Parts: sequence; C-alpha cells; structure tokens
Amino acid sequence: MSGEHTMNWTCEQTEALLSDYFEGLLQPSERVAFDAHAADCERCAPLLASVSQLVGNLRGMEQLEAPPRLIYAILDKTLGPRETTVAAPGFFGWLRGIGMPRFAYGALSLSTTFFVIASASGFSWRHPKFADLQPTTIARNADRQAHLVFARSAKFVSDLRVVYEIQTRLRQDNEIPTSNEDAVPATAPNQAPGRTDGSMPGGPNQQNRATAVDRNQQLLATIITSRPSLSRVPFFAGAFFPGTLFPGCGYYGRKNP
Amino acid sequence: MEQDAQLVQQCLQGDGSAWEELVRRHTRRIFNICYRFTGNRTEAEDLSQEVFLRVYRTLASYRSAHGGFVTWMTSVTRNLLIDHYRRTRRDRITDSLEDAMPAVENKQSSARRPDDLALLGELSTQIQMGLTKLSPELREAVILRDLQQLEYGEIQQVLSVPEGTVKSRINRGRIELARILQQMGVRPS
Repeated sequence: MSGEHTMNWTCEQTEALLSDYFEGLLQPSERVAFDAHAADCERCAPLLASVSQLVGNLRGMEQLEAPPRLIYAILDKTLGPRETTVAAPGFFGWLRGIGMPRFAYGALSLSTTFFVIASASGFSWRHPKFADLQPTTIARNADRQAHLVFARSAKFVSDLRVVYEIQTRLRQDNEIPTSNEDAVPATAPNQAPGRTDGSMPGGPNQQNRATAVDRNQQLLATIITSRPSLSRVPFFAGAFFPGTLFPGCGYYGRKNP
Repeated sequence: MEQDAQLVQQCLQGDGSAWEELVRRHTRRIFNICYRFTGNRTEAEDLSQEVFLRVYRTLASYRSAHGGFVTWMTSVTRNLLIDHYRRTRRDRITDSLEDAMPAVENKQSSARRPDDLALLGELSTQIQMGLTKLSPELREAVILRDLQQLEYGEIQQVLSVPEGTVKSRINRGRIELARILQQMGVRPS
C-alpha cells in the first residue's frame, strides 16, 4: 500500500493535502508517500518549505494591542456616556490646577505686578484705603510720583556736578602745598624765623598760594553746609567718579563735616 | 467560556459592569481580527465598535447551547467584515486599477501609514500586506486558523460551511499567501 502511494503520488495531491500534512492529519502511509515525493520533486519541495515557514511566521505573530480609547468608545456607544467622572470632581476639578507650577508662576507674576503698580501709585500698605484703588486716584498719584522721581533725579545729577567741580578744583590745587607750614621752609636754629638759610626772606608768591588753598577749603565747607543734599550723596558714587573724594571716605557723607 | 456565558446572563439582567467586563475581555481579539482583515487601523477601530454595538443589541439571541460566546462573537465579526468588504468593493476596484501601474504601486507601498509600520515588524508588515491581497474567503480562513488559532469546528461554525470547505480554504489560502509573498520578494524567516 505504501509503495503504491509513493509510486503514484502527484504534485496535485501534495498541494491539496499540504495543510493536513502540517496538522498531522495524514495517514502514516500517506505521510511516507508525501515525504518521498516532496524530497524528490523540484516543484513541491520549495512549496513545502515556503508554506511551512509561512505557517510558523503566522503563528508567531503577536496580537496587537487595541488602543485604550477603543474600549471607552465602545462603552460610550453601548452604555452611553459615563456620569461617574462628572459629578463631584467636575465641580471641584478647577482646584486641581492651583497646584500646578504654571499657575503658581502666573499668580506670583501677577501679584508682583500689582504690588509694583500699587506702590508706584502711592498706595499705602500700612493704611490701605479703598479710595486709593480708584483709577483716577491711581493715575494722579502715579503722575505725581513720576514728577517727584524726575525732580529727585535732576537734583541728584546737579549735586553730583557741583561735587565734581569742587573735586576738579581741589585736584588743580594739589600741585601746590596745602598748608603754610609746608610752604615755608623749616627755620634753622640759629636763624630768625622767616628766613632761609643764607637766603632772602620767603617770597610773597608762596604765602599767596597757601592762602588760596585755605580759601578753597572754606568755600567747600560753606557749599556743603548750604546744600544739605550733598550730605546724601551715596558712598558708591565714587565708583562712577574715580579719583574724586567719594569712595568710602565719608567726608561728604556726614551732615557736619 | 463559562465565565463569558455567566457575564452574558448578567448583562441580560441589566448589569452594566458585566458588559464592561465582556468588552475588556474581547476588544483586543476583535480588533486584531478586523485589523488583519482590513489592514487599516482606523477601519479596524470603527469596525470593532460596530461589532460590539451589534453584539450588544443582539445579545439576547445568543444561546450558549449552540456554541461558545467567542465563536458567536467571531461569527458576528466575520459577517460585519464581509458586509464591509462588499460595501467598499468599488473603492478597491479603483485601487486595483491604480495598482496595475508599477510606479503608482511603489508610491502607495512607500506611503503606507507610519503608525501601521511601527505597529508591526517588517516581516509582519509584509505578511499583512500579502493577507490583504488574498480573496476574502481565503483571508478569513487563514486569519481564523493561523492567527486566531481557532479549531476547525469553530471555524466551521463561524463560516457556516462544511469542514471540508474549511480545510480546503485554509490550505489554498496558505499556498496563495506563500506565493504572493514570494512575488513580493519576501523571504520568510
């Protein structure tokens, strides 16, 4: 029987029983004839190999994941839109947004802006009044504050200019001695005061220079006492006017130098 | 299986959670059948929704004595897929005319949706493309047997054809698909 099958087995039989062969549904004699034919047939051997690999690949293919929204879409279509997520969370749902960083930054920025505008418009934080928050009051106060700041700035620049002029004049005077003692040479023990050693008495030019320096210092003191705003020139002003008397000396920083 | 039948009974008594459980248990399988048959993710999602909608409406007609819930549901799916195939036949005829031009074919194959390509491996993608070139009778037989791995008897119930026809379709489907892949230059691993 097996020998007959082997002898008479055709390519059409192989093709027709290919799946039965894979499923193990052939009789033993049929299986032997099938194998014998497939081993010798140039047409059936590659077909057997390719279908065998294909079945292996098909059965090895994994099931795809269904999109999560599909389940909800099906439930919505069949059971209707779900109501459980709408009730309480819907009413208090907006509170969840407060904890978000974006909201915190936005709130901080808004409050800072409000604080700056309120302060600039003259709003009193110690004694707050509702009337101060009216737009006309805010506009009036802001205008007054702007003029005040401008006036203070102009006065500050003017004071700086005066100080700079004084400093310039003092720098010019640094080239000559700043006291009478320095201007007059030391007297020898055996000589009369006002006389140099073996020379003529001190010239009137040196006396005049010392007198001029004294006069400048008196003038400076007068200016400072007459302009109290100069005493408020900040200590860091020296950074903007190098070489002047500002840096940290505090000379002009006192009210009564 | 028994659990499915029990859930169906609960559904018929108005238990919504039982229906939700049924949906969660079978969505993936139904989506896969639809995707393998159509080769299109969006169509597969729409068809899956239609399947469950029809199942929900005709749940009372299910009789556990006539077979498992899976077989019944697969049968509903298959009928919908065949209806969908017939509805969209005209579009496919136009597509097949365009496919006759090699340049257009290359363009279409390269213009396949990226998410579809990402969804499957390269070989799986090629097998999926080969599947969509099979006739619907052979395609459904191969899908049910080799991808869903149903038994011959279950496939017979789903397709409502004799077992000999089922075997014949599966066999011809495999041989045809192997030839299509060979023509596409695919070398199975």
